[in-house]
Amino acid sequence: MTDRATIEAWLARIAIGDRQAFVALYDATSAKLFGVLLRILNDRDTAEDALQDVYLKIWHNAHRYRVNGFSPMTWLITVARNHAIDRLRRQRGSGGGAVPDAVDAVADPAPGPEARAIAAGEAARLAACFDELDQTHADAVRRAYLEGETYAELAERFDVPLNTMRTRLRRSLLKLKECLTR
Amino acid sequence: MSSDRPDILPQGGADDALAAEYALGLLSEAEARDFEERLVHEPALRAIYARWAEHFAAMTDPIAPVEPPARLRARVMRQVAPRHGGAGLRRLLGWLAGAAAGAVLGAAVLLLVGPVGDLPGLRADIAAPDGALVIGASYAPASGRLTVTRQSGQAAPGRALELWMIAGDAAPVSLGVLPDADSLRLDVPAALREALAPGAVLAVSDEPPGGSPTGQPTGAVLATGVITES
Repeated sequence: MTDRATIEAWLARIAIGDRQAFVALYDATSAKLFGVLLRILNDRDTAEDALQDVYLKIWHNAHRYRVNGFSPMTWLITVARNHAIDRLRRQRGSGGGAVPDAVDAVADPAPGPEARAIAAGEAARLAACFDELDQTHADAVRRAYLEGETYAELAERFDVPLNTMRTRLRRSLLKLKECLTR
Repeated sequence: MSSDRPDILPQGGADDALAAEYALGLLSEAEARDFEERLVHEPALRAIYARWAEHFAAMTDPIAPVEPPARLRARVMRQVAPRHGGAGLRRLLGWLAGAAAGAVLGAAVLLLVGPVGDLPGLRADIAAPDGALVIGASYAPASGRLTVTRQSGQAAPGRALELWMIAGDAAPVSLGVLPDADSLRLDVPAALREALAPGAVLAVSDEPPGGSPTGQPTGAVLATGVITES
């Protein structure tokens, strides 16, 4: 995996229109983003279209990436994930959920030691904290992130009123946060 | 369970929950707009949101990379062919604004000063917060003479400073490696003179001795300046 400083340097050069840096970034990161798009969209043709759109977004918005101690891979993955979710929801015709403005996904606070600690071993910690949640709610968070399910869709899936779904999920998100910052 | 009312949350947790819902894409359009409006003005909220983005992105860690087909790479690269207009400059300015906040340019200032001698000339001045490296330059289109003066700072040990011109969305073009001497006068090649105009950008990058081996910047872009009329 290409290191953070290298990807940040590429993004800085892409921001001034450097195509060579863009080619280097594509070659180093497109397999990961394509894997993520395939997983979310579950269709090869759609994922290929999406990959093209995602890299155009990266080309046009590299200046909006902020060097901040958070992983530039997180920024790239978030751009890809949000784009994929947007497509999925349009396909399904699901309403009631706003996909975040992807390119500003990771904003600009200066990194503290805490932020750096969070970046390391993130996946294992997240999994451990999911285990502490009511499994229905952990499942709901995963479905929202990876399937783009909205509150209305989650409420229907778990057969509870929408407001109940929201209240419970918000509580679980706070529990998750408490666990992740423990 | 005490209540199902969404407004009853542990103290101070409302923004945490809201930022997580935003990151997951669970807010309504109106709620998301309000949240984005707050993001602009509230650094603390941006920090909360950035943390959630980092946490949630970890859900993709177990997803294995899949090599996309080569024809897709060609398609993407065709779409980012150089365009004309100010897009490159706008991106640069946006990036500089972010870079200043992130202090990535920190170590350098490129100051383009007024023309020496023959008028009319071109200039610009851009300053990063830390003045460890200050380089002045001026350009006289009539003669094609570019004057670069290092006012303070120098290349890192065993490294060189290389000067680049970036016009529009074209790739950077090297104007040469800066000498150890404090000032450099160079005649800009005729083919580049038209592009060295207001709105174009000069940049200095950190390179191996003798300059970039690839013809494109390989090290950090230490300083940039937008050319304007003096």
